[in-house]
Amino acid sequence: MNDASPAMAAVSVTNRPTSGGERAKMEVKNLRFYYGDTLALQTVSLPLADRKVTAFIGPSGCGKSTLLRVLNRMYDLYPHQRAEGEVLLDGKNILLPSQDLNLLRSKVGMVFQKPTPFPMTIFDNIAFGIQLFERVSRGELRDRVEAALTKAALWGEVKDKLSANGLSLSGGQQQRLCIARTIAVRPEVVLLDEPCSALDPISTSKIEELIDELKSEYTIAIVTHNMQQAARVSDYTAFMYLGSLIEFDNTDKIFTAPSDRRTQDYITGRFG
Amino acid sequence: MQEHIVSSFDEDLNSLSQKLAEMGGLAEQNVADSVAALVNRDVEKAQRVIASDERIDKLQRQLDESAVLMIARRQPMARDLREIVSAIHIANDLERVGDLAKNTAKRVIAIEANFGSQRLVAGVEHMAELTLTQLKDVLDALASRDLAAARAVWERDNEIDAMYTSLFRELLTYMMEDPRNITFCTHLLFCAKNIERIGDHATNIAENLHYLITGGAMTEARPKQDETSTAAVLFKEG
Amino acid sequence: MASYASRRIGNNVALGLSLAATLVGLFFLGAILVTLLLKGFGAISPRIFLENTPPPGSDGGLLNAIFGSLAMTIVAIVIATPVGILAGTYLVEYSRGSRLGEIAKFINDILLSAPSIIIGLFVYTILVVPVGHFSAWAGAAALGLIALPVINRTTQDMLGLVPNALREASAALGMPKWKAMTHVIYRAARSGILTGVLLAIARVTGETAPLLFTALSNQFWSTDLGAPMANLPVVIFQFALSPYADWQRLAWGGALIITVAILALNIVARVLSNIGSVK
Repeated sequence: MNDASPAMAAVSVTNRPTSGGERAKMEVKNLRFYYGDTLALQTVSLPLADRKVTAFIGPSGCGKSTLLRVLNRMYDLYPHQRAEGEVLLDGKNILLPSQDLNLLRSKVGMVFQKPTPFPMTIFDNIAFGIQLFERVSRGELRDRVEAALTKAALWGEVKDKLSANGLSLSGGQQQRLCIARTIAVRPEVVLLDEPCSALDPISTSKIEELIDELKSEYTIAIVTHNMQQAARVSDYTAFMYLGSLIEFDNTDKIFTAPSDRRTQDYITGRFG
Repeated sequence: MQEHIVSSFDEDLNSLSQKLAEMGGLAEQNVADSVAALVNRDVEKAQRVIASDERIDKLQRQLDESAVLMIARRQPMARDLREIVSAIHIANDLERVGDLAKNTAKRVIAIEANFGSQRLVAGVEHMAELTLTQLKDVLDALASRDLAAARAVWERDNEIDAMYTSLFRELLTYMMEDPRNITFCTHLLFCAKNIERIGDHATNIAENLHYLITGGAMTEARPKQDETSTAAVLFKEG
Repeated sequence: MASYASRRIGNNVALGLSLAATLVGLFFLGAILVTLLLKGFGAISPRIFLENTPPPGSDGGLLNAIFGSLAMTIVAIVIATPVGILAGTYLVEYSRGSRLGEIAKFINDILLSAPSIIIGLFVYTILVVPVGHFSAWAGAAALGLIALPVINRTTQDMLGLVPNALREASAALGMPKWKAMTHVIYRAARSGILTGVLLAIARVTGETAPLLFTALSNQFWSTDLGAPMANLPVVIFQFALSPYADWQRLAWGGALIITVAILALNIVARVLSNIGSVK
């Protein structure tokens, strides 16, 4: 793994778990990101291990959401944002202009902070995504919708009201609907951008349980403000500060004995 | 180290350290007093030691409660977590040290009537000096979070063990020479064992301090030279 | 304490003035409506809907005028709605920040408040003069040009209200933009855009000046869109200024009909937007 950039010298990225052990499903290499002329991410490199959960933590404005949104090229929606460097998905660079964005996003799904159900029935919310990419019979469609809702731990609560409007659900249910919608198209990677920030503690726990179950099938990256949540759900953690990656390691090590003083100060609440 | 944004967290951690320091001081004092009582056959002193142990027990209970509350409230991470966990372990060790000093003090009262050789008592006193130095050094290392000092304490434990082994043999021999010595020697044996255990607890504290500072365990096996579990002295007829 | 008392006095004075201003406005509004009702109600009878405009001095109805207004409004809206919605969509969804987009929005806002007589004159020049005569097509064109900026602007506003998160969520699913527009964004803005169309109709229903230059009017029943066609506003204009009592009565009746129509459209628009916002 060669990240031979001079800026890397300032970063204490200690353990690279996937350099010998697991496969990296996605890999960020020397990524620089610009909002207009402002450099927001400074030469970030890290792997996303296959079928593991990687958490991005750091204070506000550190670039963790920016990094996440590069992974499915969400920034392409906005004209003044650009990325330089490489992001590999299964070895292929997705930052190339020739990359089919819709295809990319069918493989790399995203769930946002605020639940955003489409203005359709609950059934259609899920079915619509499936039908974007595949021709499925009515019967199979019903099965796929049921499977997605079951995986998102929502089937029991909505199976009798599939024709109700998606917006009639509670906040926690809406978020689980969005997760069901994302996994219904069978992506390989799921990106979660502070998925529980807008939810109550019980909904949060349900979603954490969901992440635990999902990780056996999907590679997951999660941005979170809640450090205890990062410690609970993730296998690897990346600590970012002011647009740089400060430390990347096994979650257990980061939260019991981090190598970098800045990481320690942040996670123990000493950041001033 | 920079302070926590929530200052009451720092206050809580400081109060843990203070309790530990107080416990350490009391335990040290009690060990020294119990041995002095043994050497000088000072029953009053022994009784003071027994009474004072209650304070150490109380401090340990308080520290445990505070530590558990801190874990529930603060969800501590990294260094903070290690501080709290090692405080619980060290308090445990110090409470045991206090108990061992109390046990020794009780025996002072028991052997008062059956006093034997002052020379053997001197042997115990010599061992106790070494142990007290260990205890003092490790408590100083704890206060200043000195990793090198902790390691030094950890390595010196075998000296105490060696002394205990030879004292063990001597006492066995003495007992075999004259059965009237058995009561005295048995109590002395237990006192020696207590002091050897106190040395082990000091080493435990050193290991906990190492964990606190580095986050890892001392991986090598602790050097041990206590062979009394296999020691035997042959009984010679006549 | 002195300052508190003076603040209370100031507060009461301002409150009183606001109340007075409201009452003044309401008074005149009320006066107009009451006058309309009093003068127009007498003219309302089944005849007004069944008979054409009469020659001076005799009785009749407003059938041809009502038909003419309906026909021209419908044609105008049928042309203006798709153009307005698509243009508004382009300006919001596809031309973010571009110079062309900004200029187009600016011009649309100017057209929004352009004097309708200028629009009438413009259509007169291009659709009446070359043809040689007035026509209902020209009238519909003029009304369409008045409705277009309204629909465009409300479409822009309603699409702007759709949260960006919905667009991002659609993109994140791998949805092509046009599909996101038709199935998600439009659905979310649906009631708002519809409201905009209804308000455009209401606006256009009462326009008189452009019709003077384009459709003019017609005494008789006519369904020929290529010829001058009767319509309510011009007929009212004509009959109200005349010295004939019958005609004046019919004019008041026509005014009442227009007012009721606009009222109904506004109520429907309000109801629709309420349904849309109860989520």
